[in-house]
Amino acid sequence: MSDRIRALLTRRRATLLTVAVLLCLPPFYLDAFWLRIGLFSMAAAIGAIGLALLSGTAGQLSLGHAFFLAVGAYGYTWLAGDPGPGLPTALAVPLAVLMAGLAGGLFSPVAGRVKGIYLGIATLALVFLGHHVLLTAESVTGGFNGRSVPPLSLGGFTFDADRELTVLGVPFGAEERLWFLGLALFALTWFTARGLLRSRPGRALAALRDSETAAAVMGVDVARHRSAAFVVSSMYAGLAGVLLALAFRRVVPDYFGLVLSVDYLAMIVIGGLGSVAGATAGAVFVTALPLLMTRYADQLPLVAAPGSAEGAVGPTEAARYLYGAAIVLVLLYAPDGLHGLARRARDRLRRRRTPTTVPDTAVPSPPPPAAAARPKEHTP
Amino acid sequence: MNDRTTEARADATRTTKTHAGGTSTTAPPELAVRDITVRFAGLTALDGVSFTVAPGSVHALIGPNGAGKSTCFNVLSGLCRPASGAVTLGGTELTRLAPHRIAALGVARTFQNIVTTQGTVADNLMLGRHALTRAGFTASALRLPGARREQREHLARAREIAELTGLGAHFDSPVGLLSYGDRKRVELARALCLEPRVLLLDEPVAGMNAAERARTAEVVAELRAELGLSVVLVEHDMGLVMRLADEVTVLDFGRPIAHGTPDEVRRDPEVLRAYLGTDATDATGEDAA
Repeated sequence: MSDRIRALLTRRRATLLTVAVLLCLPPFYLDAFWLRIGLFSMAAAIGAIGLALLSGTAGQLSLGHAFFLAVGAYGYTWLAGDPGPGLPTALAVPLAVLMAGLAGGLFSPVAGRVKGIYLGIATLALVFLGHHVLLTAESVTGGFNGRSVPPLSLGGFTFDADRELTVLGVPFGAEERLWFLGLALFALTWFTARGLLRSRPGRALAALRDSETAAAVMGVDVARHRSAAFVVSSMYAGLAGVLLALAFRRVVPDYFGLVLSVDYLAMIVIGGLGSVAGATAGAVFVTALPLLMTRYADQLPLVAAPGSAEGAVGPTEAARYLYGAAIVLVLLYAPDGLHGLARRARDRLRRRRTPTTVPDTAVPSPPPPAAAARPKEHTP
Repeated sequence: MNDRTTEARADATRTTKTHAGGTSTTAPPELAVRDITVRFAGLTALDGVSFTVAPGSVHALIGPNGAGKSTCFNVLSGLCRPASGAVTLGGTELTRLAPHRIAALGVARTFQNIVTTQGTVADNLMLGRHALTRAGFTASALRLPGARREQREHLARAREIAELTGLGAHFDSPVGLLSYGDRKRVELARALCLEPRVLLLDEPVAGMNAAERARTAEVVAELRAELGLSVVLVEHDMGLVMRLADEVTVLDFGRPIAHGTPDEVRRDPEVLRAYLGTDATDATGEDAA
């Protein structure tokens, strides 16, 4: 038995290594367009994992995710930038993440007491408040036009295109370098979020979601864990904000609107609530789709090229229709999202491969949960 | 981000066994309920209820539906604050404490209708270890060695408790796939994972078939013998109550109407009246049912 576990462990490690190597290859083969898609996806995945912890695991709805992304993005820009303290950029990154966590902590009197959809409404206020501040506090945020983001430099190495750098015959510009930074931050997020989910705090949060009463009598401090979930989620959002700012090289207030919050909710719903891998898949889907459609608009049927005649469906709109449809399909047919689909497919494969399983070790795959969305009843 | 202070206090006052699974060295403290009154918008759910659970005994709380048994449990576990009266465990007043602090003092409960969380049996049992463990958000996120060791040790103890309650074979199964009786047992095992000094069981065998009932009764009797904990039991199955309980308190419409050993209570005219209506002459048949 222990040999089998060991074999599994090493196979797991081998898979992990393979994935890591594969993820390091794109900068050597793909052009900046694809790398940018990857970067935005990685940033979105970090934010989505944070939201998945809050909404999927702890069962708290947040529409304020865009606000915490903005705190991270602007926090970094201000901390490292010229109106601002002008700190070393390597220091500004963790400080910006802490700032987002602090902002989440300041909201904890609300986040600790208010449940579910009511928290969603309360956090809505944050987005509007944040947007207003971004527009008006010009000395810090640059107002409507935003600010340009100072490139990150780590121990003399700058994540920018300024100095020529060639690795293995491939010129490394900003995208190539940022790819590896994004990868490292994403790996950190993946590692920590999964660690959280599989240990004491994660179980406490899941218990809060399933039954607050049961959690409380088992010794879980309800208010404290609710606010802690909110703080942790804000910190992941802040980290995502920093990476987004570095990738965009400019931060503007209009990006951090309500639509962004809704995008993040779409990511975790499509991916499957409460799963790190699901949130990542959802983030890639929601981020990459509009960018890909813009690029290939001329080759797609029914989609007009950007900036073409009125009345035509542009690629961005088409992408929105598509992922709107994806959400409806997911809610109707796979309420546990891409993650659930993948798990069921894997279970089926495994059962097919071993048709005569030992009865007492074979665990049937759980039945798909009842559809989360029920069609509205017709009211006369 | 954890309850370091509470837990430290709980650890200091707690003299029961460690995670290694040895037996307790001292008897649990006395649980005293004094003159508890609970009102819900005009309805008096509990009216001056008093009883004392002697250390290490099984105390049954019986009464017709709506007598206030579950409300009494909610007061004991801190989910419901009484209008007057006090509950003390040893020297500690419980009525003003939040539920999680009461849990940290070693009071665990199960629910009448099953309240488990998603995930495997192991996940549920590990939730029961929450008050006994201290890995916080940072340590867990970074998977620090201390947090991992703690998880490993407590998982081993949870597995022992699963074996003890007959859930060993289902330890890694999702709770949603278990039978009704097994899910009910998951609740019991989860409560035991708190290493409680006082265990509150709200209808532990309701809805179970005869075999499952017998098995659960066995487990409870075994627990009490092995771990020496006090048990407060709410149950409609009189056979089980008569077999397990040392003392019985009977509630009717929120008022205690009788108190004593199972045999005394069985013969009490007030009890017969409450259960069978007036002019009851022979109720022993019902009791044995």
